[in-house]
Amino acid sequence: MKYQKTIGVIIIIGVICCSWIAGSNYFKPTPVKFLVPKGWPEPLYDFKSNPLTKEGIELGRQLFYDTRLSKDGTISCGTCHQQFGGFNTYDHSLSHGYNNSLTTRNAPGLFNLAWHKEFMWDGGISHLDLQPLAPITAENEMAESLQNVITKLQAEKEYRRLFKAAFGDEKISTQKLTKAISQFVLTLVSSNSKYDRVMRGVDTFILPEKLGYKIFKKKCVSCHTEPMFTDFSYRNIGMPLDPFLKDVGRMKITNEPSDSLKFKVPSLRNVMRSFPYGHDGRFFSVMTVMEHYRKNMVPDPRTDPLLQNRLPLSNFEIGQLTAFLHTLTDSSFLRNPNFAAPGKGVSTTAPVDIHN
Amino acid sequence: MTLHFQNQFGNEILVPEQSYLLNGDTLTIHRFKYYISHIQLIDEQGKKVKLPVQYYLIDAADSNSSMIQFNIPVGKYQSIQFLLGVDSTRNLSGVQSGELDPLHGMFWTWNSGYIMAKLEGSATSSQIAGKQFTYHIGGFRGNNNTTRVITLPFYVIDKCITIVADAKKWFDGPNELSISKEPICHSPGALAVRIANNYAYMFSILSK
Repeated sequence: MKYQKTIGVIIIIGVICCSWIAGSNYFKPTPVKFLVPKGWPEPLYDFKSNPLTKEGIELGRQLFYDTRLSKDGTISCGTCHQQFGGFNTYDHSLSHGYNNSLTTRNAPGLFNLAWHKEFMWDGGISHLDLQPLAPITAENEMAESLQNVITKLQAEKEYRRLFKAAFGDEKISTQKLTKAISQFVLTLVSSNSKYDRVMRGVDTFILPEKLGYKIFKKKCVSCHTEPMFTDFSYRNIGMPLDPFLKDVGRMKITNEPSDSLKFKVPSLRNVMRSFPYGHDGRFFSVMTVMEHYRKNMVPDPRTDPLLQNRLPLSNFEIGQLTAFLHTLTDSSFLRNPNFAAPGKGVSTTAPVDIHN
Repeated sequence: MTLHFQNQFGNEILVPEQSYLLNGDTLTIHRFKYYISHIQLIDEQGKKVKLPVQYYLIDAADSNSSMIQFNIPVGKYQSIQFLLGVDSTRNLSGVQSGELDPLHGMFWTWNSGYIMAKLEGSATSSQIAGKQFTYHIGGFRGNNNTTRVITLPFYVIDKCITIVADAKKWFDGPNELSISKEPICHSPGALAVRIANNYAYMFSILSK
């Protein structure tokens, strides 16, 4: 009996030692499988170059919500990319930046990024991993240098631990920093709206939604292509140049006059929860967007061929379309606690959208 | 074998914060940096011997950066070839490390792509704030490509080859560049290409 006890104790100590050795000497992050929603195309992001892991995603989430990435420690990625608005800048037309500056655009929503080839309203950024570098270093956004960000994070014991857990090495580099942020934002998949459930055959549209979907398929779908609700192209939709911002969009990147005032077609997923609209947030409601298409737009030869005669929409059609657009709201995405700031839970204090 | 890049302005050695004369104008150079990659040697039969692909950032402010050492097979070579700049593949492959790490300030974050070469300073003729001129030359797509393949013939084969990089050629190459008219280039496009067509001529092998 006494021997049995002793042997038992020895075995327990042995197990503890083994797990301690395994835990400290071997780098083995927990792989996370990226799930492609049924019927969706294959993602474009190269997951082999940056395999998703539980530790990498968690680190990315910490970084996404860390204001130390900005020069004065007041702005994080999450400051402008707000979960309750589908990770866009909610309520404000232009996103705000360092030292009371305004940017020139409304930060676009972040979801389904694995399917994007290029990033930003003008598509200037060619790879998801490169994306965070622009807001971190821009003078009117976070205004910080990459070297300073790395130095600040490297000084934190907690970050050294998180980087080691995610990448096997506590030395922080631009590559590891950006890969971790990519891992987190790649998990932001919005695929569970009523529309998705209807497509999966587990829900049904009510009549206005059904009629709206029909109108949508006739008048909107060629640019807002399913299932992403964007074809990822750049189009001029007859929005006159803002004389102060002077934002020419895609032309800034390509230098091609034919790309003047072209901006990326935004996805319509979560659209009813992500006002304001347009690259510079000039439209404060879906209704003003509809009015733009049917009446206010200023077509010129560079305006998209599909919109040369504007987009005729009757009041009835706008009503049904709006009902359909509501089915693109993915509440489980907007309130998913895994996407919220660590330790804070989902923010339920989104201002009420009085415009839609 | 060692390649040594000797940065000059005209016939003088280029030292950051020193002044040089250019057609009656006085220039002070603050920064002079450029990427070198894809080095290969061409032997007497015209066969190319490629070295492993490496990227080097030559910085006039850092003398260690100007020495490139590599092993080459024994033989006789007639010329050396390299790329000034960073090839399109590396421009399109996400965040790189080492010499290509975006934190070296040679990467455009808002319009993804490397600055192949940069020359910054101040000049008496400049009409902008701080009497500055800043030329950040980049662009890798189609007609906006600013990488240049440089081929230099050898006259004497030595263990150490000194390549002169003459920043003055940015101004008096085939295309005239006037600081008073065009003090800034910060994006891919026609001006960047014009300057690239100038810096394509800035290298020569130092004859001893």
